[in-house]
Amino acid sequence: MESIQWLIFLALLALGYFVGRWNERAHFKSIREREAKYAKVLAFAVRYPPDVVTPQECRLVSGSVVISSDYFKQCVAGLRTLGGGRLSSYESLLDRARREATLRMKEQAQRFGSTLIVNVKVETTTVSGGARKGLPAMEVMAYGTALKSAAPRAPAP
Amino acid sequence: MQYENRQPDETVNYSSEHPLREFAWLVFGLLGVVAIAAALIGFFAGEIASRLPFSVEKDYARRISQHWQDKPRDVAAEEARAALRAIAAKLAPVMQLPPGMEIQVHYAPDAVANAFATLGGNVVFYRGLIEKFDSEDAVAMVLAHEMAHAKLRHPAASLGRGIAVGLTLSLISVGLGEGAAGSALQTAGVLPLLSYSRRQESAADAEAMAALAAVYGHVGGARDIFDVFARLQPSSTQVTILRSHPLTAERMASIERTAAQRGWKLDGARRPLPPALARLKRARQDKP
Repeated sequence: MESIQWLIFLALLALGYFVGRWNERAHFKSIREREAKYAKVLAFAVRYPPDVVTPQECRLVSGSVVISSDYFKQCVAGLRTLGGGRLSSYESLLDRARREATLRMKEQAQRFGSTLIVNVKVETTTVSGGARKGLPAMEVMAYGTALKSAAPRAPAP
Repeated sequence: MQYENRQPDETVNYSSEHPLREFAWLVFGLLGVVAIAAALIGFFAGEIASRLPFSVEKDYARRISQHWQDKPRDVAAEEARAALRAIAAKLAPVMQLPPGMEIQVHYAPDAVANAFATLGGNVVFYRGLIEKFDSEDAVAMVLAHEMAHAKLRHPAASLGRGIAVGLTLSLISVGLGEGAAGSALQTAGVLPLLSYSRRQESAADAEAMAALAAVYGHVGGARDIFDVFARLQPSSTQVTILRSHPLTAERMASIERTAAQRGWKLDGARRPLPPALARLKRARQDKP
C-alpha cells in the first residue's frame, strides 16, 4: 500500500516535471514571438499621455491570464518553504503570467487601433482564494488606457 | 522623442538554474536534516531508556520472561537450563550487577547457534550454540557477555533508540516509521533482533572477560569462542550469532590487548562442559 502511494507520487512528480517543463518552454517561445509582434504597441505606466499627442480617443484595455503550477513546481516550492528562500519554481511561472497578460492587453489595444497604452497596472490574485490546499493557480491581470488619435474636433464657433 | 518597449531582460526575473538541481538540493538537504535529527533523538532516547529504573524494564518485559520460562521442555532441557543457571550463578557475584537486577537464564532447545540478551535481564541460550563448545569456559564467556549487555542496560537502550527513530521517521513516512519502530517493538517481544553497536559489544566483551578472569583465573573461554566462531560458516542460516556479533579481527585484537593490559592469562586449564550440556552434545553427535 505504502509502495503504491510512493509510485503514484513519483509518477506525478515525473509527469509534472516533464510536461510542466515542456509547457513552460513552449509558452516562453510563444511569448517571445508575440512580444516581437506587438512591439509597436507601446505600454507605459505613466498616468498621462505624452504632450505630443493631443486629441485622443481613449478606451480601457485589459488582458488577464489564469496560470497553473505543475506538481513538480509545487513539490519544489513546498520543500523550499521549509527553509525559506527564493521560490524560483514560481518565479518563472509568474513571469510568464505577467508577460502573457501584458500581451493580451496589447492585442486588445491593437484591435482598437491603438499603439499606445498609458497608466498600465498589473494585478495578481490566487484563484483558490487563499484556501490551504486550494488550486495552485493564479490570475494575473494587466490593464491600462489605450489612446488613439481622434479626428480633429470642429473648431469652436 | 522616440519611445519603445524593449524585450524584457530574461536573466533577471527568474533563475536559469536547472530545476532538478534545486530539487536535489532540497530533497537531500531535508533527508540530511531528518537523518541527523533521527540520530540525535535516537541517541538521547537510548541514553534515557538505559537510565530508567530496572524495575520499569522488568515490568515491561514480564511477557518475555514468561514466554521463555513457559517454553515446553523435557528433562534434558530442564537439566541444561539448570546447568546454565549454575554457571550464571558463579558469574553473577563477580559482575557487580546493579542492585535490584536479576539475570534470568533460559535454554531454548533449537538448533540455531545463537544466544542473546533481551529486556528484563533475560538471557537466552540455544542448543545449537552449546553444541559448538567443548568447555565450560566458552559457555561462560558467552553467558557473561550476554549478562554484561543486561548489566549495561543495552537492551533498553536499543529498544528506546528503535522506537524514537521510528517515531521520527514516521514524520516523513508513516510506513517507514512503523517499520523501524515495529522491528524494535518486536524485539521487545521474544525475537532476538535487538542490535547493539560495536561500542556496546566491546564493552560487553570487556565486562565478560573480567568476570571470566575472576571466576576461572584466565580468559581462555574468550579465545575458545572466537576460535569456534572462526570455524562457523557465516552463510548458514542457523548461525545467527555471527550476524549479531560480527567476528572482526579488530574484536579479537582488542580482546588480546585488554587481557595484556589487565594482566589476565590468555590460556589456562579449561573446565569440561557440565554433564547436562555434554549430554546434549553427545545426543546430537549420536544422531546420524
